[in-house]
Amino acid sequence: MKKILVVDDEENIRFLYKEELEDEGFTVELAKNGEEALEKFNVFRPDLITLDIKMPGMNGIEVLKRIREQERNLPIILCSAYGEYKQDLATWASDAYVVKCADLTELKETIRRLLKL
Amino acid sequence: MSDDVRPYELLKTILQLSNSSLSLESKLDRMLQAIAQTLQSDRCLFLKPEVIRNAGMLSRIVSEKKPFWIENGSSLPRENILPEEEHLISSSFACLPLDDETSCQGILYIGFQRNRRFSPEEIDLLHLISMAMAGMIRKTHFPSLSEQTRFELTALRELGRVVTSTLKLEDLLQLILVTGSRILKAKGGVLRLMDRNTGELKVNCQLGDYDQIPFDAKIARRVLLTRKPFSLQQPGKGLPFASVVCAPLISQGNSFGSLSFYDLEANPSTFSEEISQLLLTTVNQISSSIDNALSHYEISDLARRQEIRARRLSTLWELNKALLTTVNLDRMIELTLTAITIGDGLRFNRAMLFLLNEENQTLYGTMAVGPDSAEEAGRIWNSLSAKQGSPFEMILALQPTSEENSLLNSAIKRMRIPLSQDQCILSRTILEGRPFNIQLPTLEEKGPESSCGRSCQLGSGVGCQVAQQLSHDPKAYAFATVPLWGKGKIIGMILVDNLYNKNPITAEDLHFLSMFANQAGLAIENTILYRNIEEVNKELKEAQALLVHREKMAALGELSNTIAHEIRNPLVSIGGFARRLYRALPAEMPENKYAQTIMVEVGRLERILNNILQYTRDDSIVHEACDLRGILDDGLSMLADELDDGRITIARTFDEQLPRVMGDRQGLKQAFFNLFTNACQAMQEKGTLSIRAHPFSRNGTSFVRVEVKDTGKGIAPENLHNIFNPFFSARESGLGLGLPIVHKIVTSHGGQIEVDNHPGEGTAFIITLPTHPGRHPSVGLHPKAG
Repeated sequence: MKKILVVDDEENIRFLYKEELEDEGFTVELAKNGEEALEKFNVFRPDLITLDIKMPGMNGIEVLKRIREQERNLPIILCSAYGEYKQDLATWASDAYVVKCADLTELKETIRRLLKL
Repeated sequence: MSDDVRPYELLKTILQLSNSSLSLESKLDRMLQAIAQTLQSDRCLFLKPEVIRNAGMLSRIVSEKKPFWIENGSSLPRENILPEEEHLISSSFACLPLDDETSCQGILYIGFQRNRRFSPEEIDLLHLISMAMAGMIRKTHFPSLSEQTRFELTALRELGRVVTSTLKLEDLLQLILVTGSRILKAKGGVLRLMDRNTGELKVNCQLGDYDQIPFDAKIARRVLLTRKPFSLQQPGKGLPFASVVCAPLISQGNSFGSLSFYDLEANPSTFSEEISQLLLTTVNQISSSIDNALSHYEISDLARRQEIRARRLSTLWELNKALLTTVNLDRMIELTLTAITIGDGLRFNRAMLFLLNEENQTLYGTMAVGPDSAEEAGRIWNSLSAKQGSPFEMILALQPTSEENSLLNSAIKRMRIPLSQDQCILSRTILEGRPFNIQLPTLEEKGPESSCGRSCQLGSGVGCQVAQQLSHDPKAYAFATVPLWGKGKIIGMILVDNLYNKNPITAEDLHFLSMFANQAGLAIENTILYRNIEEVNKELKEAQALLVHREKMAALGELSNTIAHEIRNPLVSIGGFARRLYRALPAEMPENKYAQTIMVEVGRLERILNNILQYTRDDSIVHEACDLRGILDDGLSMLADELDDGRITIARTFDEQLPRVMGDRQGLKQAFFNLFTNACQAMQEKGTLSIRAHPFSRNGTSFVRVEVKDTGKGIAPENLHNIFNPFFSARESGLGLGLPIVHKIVTSHGGQIEVDNHPGEGTAFIITLPTHPGRHPSVGLHPKAG
């Protein structure tokens, strides 16, 4: 059973993602900001992380960098309402960039692809 | 000897002789005889005044007016006696001056071989006799003197009449020469005037062939320089004339010519004095009148020329007034050329204007004004001469459209002369910046050498064709060109000719044309600048409007951006949970339908959001090499909701080897998705959505072509031109941003979008995108793109 860490500052999004991903058979852990994400990462040791970019305090890119410093091969998906972050070269450090959508099909397919399922 | 009778007898004889009607010589002879007889002298002579020299005994007698009574000739001191006078010295002699208190008429000489004494009575007697003789001689001369004087006066009066009869110079000079010859009784003469500019003494008129004699020129020159008359009689030395007199023509102290007369019929003995005197008097009279005539001639010439200049300046002013009436370039050129060709303007037959294109250094024929044939020329001149009006009015009144169909105008508009053809006169006018006046070659001349070898006046291969077009015979084409100056640079040139009336183009004409061309050049340059300013102004206004629009859009975009992003997150939640409900609730339950509705509406909202965000996005997005097949498939998969009810069939034809396209994956996906959505919405009932993708090449460049075709109702033709305009929507729902976004994305990828619309049958959109250079798809199977 693969473990996914979902990082997003919106409670309802976290709720939705947890419900949807657990239906798919994943174990889901939630974090509401960058610091919590890093703590949970160390403890939970997920197989994949979805990162919202725009968050209070540390933004997703920062979290991405920190985690990459520790874990190079961990699949990380940047998940955002914004399209233009694609311009930031740091986003290339992630494995995928998904624009948030009510239909989570694309997200799910990306997760499956990255986890080679 | 009876002293009382003999003196009385002698006196009586003298007086009788004096009053007789005999000739002067006879009288003198007899008187001398009587004296000799009475006094018993050996020699009695009358010595004429001409033989009396300036020095010597005789001259002393004359000057002192005292007689010599020499009783002993041998004892006379000899030093005052001239050799010629020696023969007069005899033993005794008397010399009495014949002086009548006015002038000396001569000397009476009475000589004796023997010594003799003169008695006081004899002295008295001889004194009386000498006075009587002097009086007689003088009286005799009176008639001839007065005769001469009368003759002179008559001649002068006649001459005076002649010189005041006319001021026409040629006639005057001829008359003077003829009359003068008659007065002086000469066979012929030469009148020369000095050319005021060159100083040369030119023959102005002649009587007979005397001007051919080279000696005449020398005499004239000498007389001119010395300002003194010259006369020569019987020169011998092989000169072909017998006598000549020449006098200078003097006015206000300066000599300005010479008048010489040849072969005069004068008494040889009195030749010199008489003739010179007469000539001088004549010449004085006529000099001032010749001078007057000359001045008059010069003044009227000057006045005439000044009048022409004044008239031309006034015409120039009128023409310039006309030029000020417009800022339109074509009208300006037309006015310029009209002014050059009308009768009250510069009067050339035809005028053509060429403008210089600076970038490609070529002269372009711009406009021509002038009749196409001699008949037309005649017609136009006849009708124009009937019109009245100042040049200003005439120029403006000429109809503009009449030149549209002119052959000449069409021919000129086609002409192009590159400045590199530097033999052509037209090019040279520009390159050398000066006017040219090419005249008809005379029969002897060959005409200017030119590279085209046809020796045409315009002188070059290109010019040759020009000459051919402009005139019927390029070898004998007379024309002139002037450059048009703008502010400090040459902007073109004007060519003029007098093809129909064949008037030669004078330097004065060309000068006048240059003056006008300078004004015209400035005026034309002004209209060009004005037009440029108008265009630039328009562009600036448009750019400003665009800028304002962009800023508005940018502001709007930023606002939309922010709002859209704020809205997205909640939409994800709403839509996501609605989906869960939809999946969880059984299909029979109405709640299932409710959940579905929420889902669908959220989907709609998301699409709108996407469109807004897409449309207001910055164009500087990252491009990568994309495989269109994957993108198209992704787009299709996003259509899942639309395709659910199965009324639409998908026909998918993708080429195996589709080249990659350099682009924005997300944008392209959005674009195609919008097209698919539109297509589905056009097909309300059943229909087929066909998507074709294949490689395509044109002009050596390779492209990818995607065709999205539906079988819907098509686009109404009146809306067709608006479909790519944002916010225009023929549909009831939606913002109408779908197609504008597609257009924007396609064009930002350097591609093209075309519409093939058949109302009632369907619409096809054809997208052409340039391929990514250097990257070719590998042959074989693709893994499915993610």
